[in-house]
Amino acid sequence: MDIRSTDKDDFRFVFDRDYPLLVDVAYHIVWDLDTAEDLAEEAFERFFMRSMSFPSADDARYWLLRVVKNLALNFLRRNKRELEVVSSVGKEELSYNESGESNLIRNEERRLVRNAIESLPENLRLVIQLKEFTSLDYKAIGRVLGISETNVKVRVHRARKKLEEILGKEYRDVY
Amino acid sequence: MCIDDQLISAYLDGELKEPYLTEVKEHLSYCQACRDRLKDFKALDGKIKEALALREEERDRHKAKIAEMLEKKYFEGGRKSIFRRKVELSLSSLVTAAAALVFVFVGGFAFFGEDGGQTGEILPSYPLRAEVESASFVSDEKVTLDDFSLEEILSYLDKKGYVVDVTLKGIRPINE
Repeated sequence: MDIRSTDKDDFRFVFDRDYPLLVDVAYHIVWDLDTAEDLAEEAFERFFMRSMSFPSADDARYWLLRVVKNLALNFLRRNKRELEVVSSVGKEELSYNESGESNLIRNEERRLVRNAIESLPENLRLVIQLKEFTSLDYKAIGRVLGISETNVKVRVHRARKKLEEILGKEYRDVY
Repeated sequence: MCIDDQLISAYLDGELKEPYLTEVKEHLSYCQACRDRLKDFKALDGKIKEALALREEERDRHKAKIAEMLEKKYFEGGRKSIFRRKVELSLSSLVTAAAALVFVFVGGFAFFGEDGGQTGEILPSYPLRAEVESASFVSDEKVTLDDFSLEEILSYLDKKGYVVDVTLKGIRPINE
């Protein structure tokens, strides 16, 4: 199915299908939902402006994912210093409607896992982020990042081992 | 022998193809250590997702609003959006056209400008119509071989590939 980015129905179809995915990817790079929404919107604006056509909806999806990933990475590079200030003030967490105590534990847990992921080198981090927070398979992740399927497999495994080292293995019995 | 750690990770993601898939499944059926390894990876996955995954309602909170905004911007009032697109698309060619215009403008002065003052202002280094009397040689003296030392001449000839045999008048070589 051909997808034209300036066709109303095609645009609507792609937006409906891929917007959540784009927000997810952007969010897990910039860790801020407002920013992630802006970046996803920006990606769709570019999608339309470029007036492109794709051989399939999946191709359009990969293109959009590449764009939003690059937008998010650029955003991080541009705002690195400012973001450090903001997160040290503690604006980072989303509000969850949970009881105070479990909320506290959750936040602590979230901080630990997030720090662990952030400490990975970029080539491992992006792969594991796409793997864990989207439904993309190895092949799709490879298409988005411009690497081979085998390379994705290797990097996912390496990232997992590193995360295990950082987070420890003691959580096995919990699940 | 146990299976490779990486295979277990790929197995967890449902990315193993035959014949590996059958092998791994079979191995897992009797190897506790590898089952534990799989459990480790699963637990890690769960931990990451639980800690950091966005909840659907959180993630999609502005989806409808943004969809509406984009549709309004690009698809409603069709003529306006087409006009907008045309402007956007022709921007780069506009820049090219402007650059070409500047080039022609400056070039016109450079090649046809009669008034030297004006051309000089635009292109300060452009040589204005050189008159014969205003041109002079740096040196009028003729250069002769006398201006060079014997060493200079010899090394010059040597560089050019000549084999030069030098003998001095009135002096006979000793070994003759």
